[in-house]
Amino acid sequence: MNTIHSRREMLTTMSSGIGWLAFSSLAQQAVVKGGLAAKEPHFAPRAKRVIFLTMRGGPSHVDLFDYKPELIARNGKTASLGRDSSGAKLFGPVHPFAQFGKSGQWMTTLYPKLAKHADDLCIINSMHTDLPNHAQAFGQMHTGSFQFVRPSIGAWTLYGLGTENENLPGFITLNPPADNGGAQNYGSAFLPAICQGTKLGGSQLPELYSALLKKDVAPGPPMKNIVSASPRELQRAQIDLIRGLNERKLERDGFNPEIEGAIQSFELAFRMQSEVPDVLDLRSEPEHILKLYGIGQGKDQFARQCLLARRMAEAGVRFIEIASPGNWDHHNRLRELLATNCAATDQPIAALLTDLKARGMLKDTLVVWAGEFGRTPYAQSEDGRDHNHKGYSIWMAGGGVKGGLTYGATDETGYKATLNPMHIHDWHATMLHLLGLDHTKLTYNYGGRNFRLTNVSGEVAKGIIA
Amino acid sequence: MLCRIVQISALFISTSLLAAEHWSFQPLKAGKGNSIDEFIQRGLAEKGMKSSPRADAHTLIRRATFDLTGLPPSDESDSSDMSDKHFAHLVDSLLASPHYGEQWARHWLDVARYSDTKGYVYAREEKQWVHATPYRDWVVRALNEDMPYDRFLLLQIAGDQIVPPNSPDLAAMGFLTLGRRFLGVTHDIIDDRIDVVTRGTLGLTVACARCHDHKFDPIPTRDYYALYGVFQSSAEAVVPCAVVRNEELSALVKKNRELMTKRRGEQMARTRARSADYIAAQKDLEKYPEEVFGQLLDDKDLNPFIVHRFTAWLEKHPGNELTEDTLKQLGSPAFVPDEHIANIEMYFPTGVTTELWKSQADVDRFIIKKSAAPAHATVLVDRPLPSMPRVFIRGNPLTKGDEVPRQFLSAFGKQTPFTKGSGRLELAQAITDPRNPLTARVMVNRLWQHHFGRGLVSTPSDFGKQGGAPSHPELLDWLAQRFIDSGWSIKAMHRLIMSSKTYQQSSQSSDLSDPDNRLLSRMNPHRLSFEEARDAWISAAGRLNRLVGGRPEALFASSNTRRTLYALVDRENVPAVMRTFDFANPDLSIPQRTETTVPQQALFGMNHPFVVQQAKSLLNRPEVKSADASTRIHRIYARLFQRAPMSDELNFSLGFVHEDQAPIIATADHSKSWQYGYGEWDESTGKVKHFKPLPHFTGIAWQGDEAWPNEKLGWAQLTASGGHPGNDRKHAVVRRWVAGTDGSYTINSTLIHEPQVGDGIRAFVSHSRLGKLRSATVLGVDAVMNLDTIAFKAGDTLDFIVDIGSGLNSDQFLWSPKITSSLTAVTGAGGDTPNDTWEAEKDFSAQPKSQLTAWEQLVQVLMLSNEFMFVD
Repeated sequence: MNTIHSRREMLTTMSSGIGWLAFSSLAQQAVVKGGLAAKEPHFAPRAKRVIFLTMRGGPSHVDLFDYKPELIARNGKTASLGRDSSGAKLFGPVHPFAQFGKSGQWMTTLYPKLAKHADDLCIINSMHTDLPNHAQAFGQMHTGSFQFVRPSIGAWTLYGLGTENENLPGFITLNPPADNGGAQNYGSAFLPAICQGTKLGGSQLPELYSALLKKDVAPGPPMKNIVSASPRELQRAQIDLIRGLNERKLERDGFNPEIEGAIQSFELAFRMQSEVPDVLDLRSEPEHILKLYGIGQGKDQFARQCLLARRMAEAGVRFIEIASPGNWDHHNRLRELLATNCAATDQPIAALLTDLKARGMLKDTLVVWAGEFGRTPYAQSEDGRDHNHKGYSIWMAGGGVKGGLTYGATDETGYKATLNPMHIHDWHATMLHLLGLDHTKLTYNYGGRNFRLTNVSGEVAKGIIA
Repeated sequence: MLCRIVQISALFISTSLLAAEHWSFQPLKAGKGNSIDEFIQRGLAEKGMKSSPRADAHTLIRRATFDLTGLPPSDESDSSDMSDKHFAHLVDSLLASPHYGEQWARHWLDVARYSDTKGYVYAREEKQWVHATPYRDWVVRALNEDMPYDRFLLLQIAGDQIVPPNSPDLAAMGFLTLGRRFLGVTHDIIDDRIDVVTRGTLGLTVACARCHDHKFDPIPTRDYYALYGVFQSSAEAVVPCAVVRNEELSALVKKNRELMTKRRGEQMARTRARSADYIAAQKDLEKYPEEVFGQLLDDKDLNPFIVHRFTAWLEKHPGNELTEDTLKQLGSPAFVPDEHIANIEMYFPTGVTTELWKSQADVDRFIIKKSAAPAHATVLVDRPLPSMPRVFIRGNPLTKGDEVPRQFLSAFGKQTPFTKGSGRLELAQAITDPRNPLTARVMVNRLWQHHFGRGLVSTPSDFGKQGGAPSHPELLDWLAQRFIDSGWSIKAMHRLIMSSKTYQQSSQSSDLSDPDNRLLSRMNPHRLSFEEARDAWISAAGRLNRLVGGRPEALFASSNTRRTLYALVDRENVPAVMRTFDFANPDLSIPQRTETTVPQQALFGMNHPFVVQQAKSLLNRPEVKSADASTRIHRIYARLFQRAPMSDELNFSLGFVHEDQAPIIATADHSKSWQYGYGEWDESTGKVKHFKPLPHFTGIAWQGDEAWPNEKLGWAQLTASGGHPGNDRKHAVVRRWVAGTDGSYTINSTLIHEPQVGDGIRAFVSHSRLGKLRSATVLGVDAVMNLDTIAFKAGDTLDFIVDIGSGLNSDQFLWSPKITSSLTAVTGAGGDTPNDTWEAEKDFSAQPKSQLTAWEQLVQVLMLSNEFMFVD
């Protein structure tokens, strides 16, 4: 446990005449102030950390993971799916499906490299959420609520488990989209501010501009205020001076946990300054790893993000979120754009799984691939699909889920979840469960109520746990 | 065993009955004691403890000044005499300062979940509130005037019913109307209002009773819906709260009104024409979900909202027929009330709703942007036909339970239904009734909390059973009674608290038998809030603009030297640094900020340009700049700490500034040969007019301000390899190279404009004496811009200029020239000097990242030290 009370400081504190009682209260308060020290989960966890691959826009489940022979057979027939479809035509998958792995999981053929991991994937075909609007569904995917400002699942995780490495932020989100609720998707709402996600990579350069420069969307400083204007030794001198001043003050004032906390925060910040860039520096990776992810080959931003995710996971970051390079909101040109998005994500994601596995980390790292909803089995504007929140697919791998499993199902055309439906709350409950947290006990009292990620519902899907 | 039985049987008794016994619902008790100190001393004595001695004068001045104004004391503050009389005088003068209201308004704005913007709304609507600024300024004014707290609340809840039209006090109602929009879902908007009123004024978590009776407090679901009815019977209206008239605005408002009248008329006619269909639809209700999120309706669809209005009417009037005449009446299901679009957007087809919001947005934008526009308030006004609320079973509006009259909470005794309109005024009067013990207790506790860092009740917005018990119940009641007796004077409470020995005691203590200091044997030191810290930094730099009130400004706009209270609060996008420093979440009523100490705060202090900028400004003050080292340190200490440095402090400060600084890596410093600026291309002279440097360097780009694009210079930006022209032809970006020595030089460069959209860019190469050398207009292509052996005299400049085509669209470009001196032209160099080369991209990256001087480093350190950041 890397708390702020190293032995040396404990000795200093005690030697300056402050008794044990003060120290114990101090230790207690420092935990509240810092709030990030690793905590015991409710029960033995299967996953220690999460890598969340966000596929924003609503990937088409009926084209990717939810194989529906009936939909192929009835291609072009009028859909009769209640009010919603209003006479639209059913639309079969735009690219072929095939079975992969020993488990024979059905998947699109657009994901050839990922398909090699079919036996690691737990595909959930019965997801459903409350609304078919991007902003609300995206918010609900992250916070459980589409309507109110609530803490993100990453913030809850950090609140529940703390971090394994205090020199790094415990919840990192890489280049998150600024729309669809923006910062609220990685915010801490009423939880302590320390639980909020730290955004790495800014939005300083719009996508178009960065494509032109052939650089990342965010070539600037990776994290806010992480780059020092002064050379390291000079800043060290500054921090020593601050420390000296603060210790003098502490001597004058006697007991003061807050001031001790402030002294420590500068040291932590100083270490963070070197550790964050270290984690972000891919130059130390061997050639074969870079190649595995496809780094250095064309537009490789997502590949680098996937590798960064692994490096962060290794360094002890608890919750890492990365966003897909493209948007999956395919109202038209589905055939073409789906292939583009799959091509852009296939190798890096497959590499991430391979890499984690090779390091023995997949077993306790939960990798999640999810968008905010799916798409309709019927067509929109000839070559596209509309939003569908009543049934869609995600997959998870590692971290204690059963590989090679297809869980739940939608109706015959892929419109609505029918078998083992999994609502966002159920999914969140399951993820927390894998992390060793009981979603009904992970609560925070605010405004007179004990709030939880899953509000008043959520059931752990035991069937997917290995 | 007996115990268990009692416990189990208790479960069968209504929790409400038991909970009404809870201390906070009891009338105020007259306890034994006549002063704060008496109560506190008694608590300490019981534990054999003593209070701490009085703090020194310097500490007291700093404490009082920050507490009351949120600003540091001036460096001239006289601390020689701090007798009780002098201290009382200081408190009086601080209370009289206009900055007092600013500081305490911020505390109230946390409770009022204040934001300048609405949160997530559809694009058709203006994002920013028209009434946020007037509300914030009203709170400041009310506190400065020491408005009695009961009136302060009355105005915020029912101002529309007690002051005349155009009264500035109407702005008070922003308290109710500044919440999130929840995409227009009435139930959630009302829930937010119930929450802010009940937690904010009564310390009761009534919103917990939305779905079930409150689990711990005597608040049944019926009470929640009694209040729900009050707000359901009130409609939002945007009204002027000033007497100024503006013709242009009147015209816009008139146009908006006319459109609304027309569209309402059409909608009513449409519904009447299809009343038979609406009645038929009653058989098929599940087809018309009441929650109409994101449903697109055209004018041929039956509107689900109206379908349900028919349902409600038919239930209420069994046997009655909906005749053409009935349908025209107020309250008929076909009637569209004459209200602001925010209240009635569900009545219309989607296209019409969008049109009406856009028209409203024109009005809103005028009010927000034009300084000539009178201030506006968003008030609630009673609807002509108040509605009788029904309990939503388990909070679900689709399962309606019993009707409940609009009335006050049952925990306060016998309920009598409200009779006047919505009952909002009666609600406000019930809250401010001096016999209601909660309102005064909650407020004095808030005041106490902001003076001592923690309330006597540690859960300031929850006085229910789940909340904390008061540490000094008798003192709390005594203060509450004093508060009411003083005529609800908040300033009287400050005087009372601050004149106590308890408040004036030192925060230093070695007695650790009460580490949490619940008994107040010493003062609690506290870290400056984000607002206090930023204000203190700017103030130390001597740059604080003390103007009170007015429109919000972006937090880090470099021109923004106003108090942090006036920084734009966009609830969709709260600046990360504010979140890092525990700023109150503007979506939720926050009675107490969490206080964390995290490395991100230190990173901000060390590495964000803001603090450095203040350090530099302080050092640039004439009296600091001109002084010798030792005097300078004295003056710096005076500005930062309002005291002289002690001799050892003086010594180590001198040592720090005199230590040798590691020189900056000075590779043949070609970066100095480049300048980055903007100006206007003048075709007639072939040169740039009005060249000015781009003012802000981010470390990777030169631009107008920290944000990009920004208000100052729009999109204008130069990076190592390219850039973006400014928004118009007056703002071409100019990469300027300055020749260091006479000679002739060769220039190699390729201009790349990649986007195939827009109308391209114009580029020029211009010599300070020779004028235009090359030019190109490019769209989606490359242009080679090479120049061979051009003669330069030392000091001549070569400008690489880019401006927009005819319009601003996809104008980013790549252009990083390389300049090589031609050997033959180098005079007196012996002929064997290697070619000297300036590469725009490489030299750009070699720019020093604003290296600080030792003095700047020292001041930055002092600005981040705990003596600066804490109030003892």
